[in-house]
Amino acid sequence: MSVRRYHYARDVEEALSLLEAYEGRGAILAGGMDLSRGMAPEIEGLIDITTAGLSGISWANGDLRIGATTTLEEVRLSDEVRGYLGGFLAEVMAHVATLPLRCMATLGGAVVSAHPWADVPTALVALGAEARWRTGEKTEKAPIEELYRRPFRAIFRRSVLTEIRLPRWEGAFAFEKVSRNAGDIALINCACGLGLDDTGKIAWARVVVGATPYRAERLAAVEALLAGETPAEGLWEEAARKAEAEARVGDDMRAPAEWRRAVVPVIVRRALERAANAVMGDER
Amino acid sequence: MMKIYFELNGEPRYVEIKPGEMLLDLLRRLGMRSVKEGCRTGECGACTVLLDGKPIRSCLTFAAKVKGHRITTLEGLGTPEDLHPLQEAFLETGAIQCGFCTPGMILVAHHLLSHNPDPSPEEVRGAITGNLCRCTGYVKIVDAVMLAAERKRKGEWR
Repeated sequence: MSVRRYHYARDVEEALSLLEAYEGRGAILAGGMDLSRGMAPEIEGLIDITTAGLSGISWANGDLRIGATTTLEEVRLSDEVRGYLGGFLAEVMAHVATLPLRCMATLGGAVVSAHPWADVPTALVALGAEARWRTGEKTEKAPIEELYRRPFRAIFRRSVLTEIRLPRWEGAFAFEKVSRNAGDIALINCACGLGLDDTGKIAWARVVVGATPYRAERLAAVEALLAGETPAEGLWEEAARKAEAEARVGDDMRAPAEWRRAVVPVIVRRALERAANAVMGDER
Repeated sequence: MMKIYFELNGEPRYVEIKPGEMLLDLLRRLGMRSVKEGCRTGECGACTVLLDGKPIRSCLTFAAKVKGHRITTLEGLGTPEDLHPLQEAFLETGAIQCGFCTPGMILVAHHLLSHNPDPSPEEVRGAITGNLCRCTGYVKIVDAVMLAAERKRKGEWR
């Protein structure tokens, strides 16, 4: 490791000006989960942004706003997060790694690292979360789903992610994960959400699978199949079969594509059933 | 090199560190031999310490991060002459074989019991999920934490 300086950034401006001054030889550090396990050899300066006032969770203008350096365990324990969608996101956090790692890892770090096998991107894409970041003097924003279609790693080499915003939803979400044991990374994961209209038909659906082994992707055809339908047992099965056909799956060292193809309908059906039970429970 | 101030097991420390040094290496350098190097990837839990009372992996934590914070290692809980009740429970139930995982196990158990003095065995298993033991099969470790919890509830320790 060739680190020569460690900086405690007092605010985003200082972090950005240090990042610029290092001309590619500086790295933004939050929880440090990835940097500590392997850093590019050219990195000379670490810029710690956990001192930059980017932690915290609050509601503002209808969005649940989570500061980028808020740890996953802080997210899990937050009253605001527990009250959001029946604690859906808090439940997702409980599936992520183990307590000591959740006390270190940050929500922003999970978004920026965007490991394809991670649980956080799957949940945030399903929720339609928006990322906000600073590049120079500019504040930029994009839905996380869209961000992942851009060269986001290049963006975050010269930017600082500041906040994640979660919209309000009238409905319910559920998360499913298959892993070798509790605390392990996903072999595959899935997040589904449903909302009903006044007549009891599905007003909107969100169906996302991740760790396929590719990063979280929405299954638009499954969402379209569900919209306008009346919740019923056969519908979840139909959606699950559609998901099986639509999902992009592949091989990696953890699981073969055939296994993932076979598991996609199982977890999609489970997540849809749980979301439907939760949303219909709300209606009663 | 850089200098940082932090609190180690209740004692103020002012130490010189390398900017890229990991907390595990700093603590071992300061004589905290309970902090074990296992996997160095955050998987095994042998290097667990408490940062402001919360468990973290010292192998993945840059030493510079603890500036101004409180670090607790097993040395801060008990000594050979004055064992912590969790250490006593581990001894009594036979939860220690090689002992390499024990400091990390005790620290996460300490964190659990400080928040939940009446855990179920399932909750204890959940708390130690990130700490690997290759000797005991975990049954006696869970027994030890349950015994320490029972004694805590009886007011034998706080």
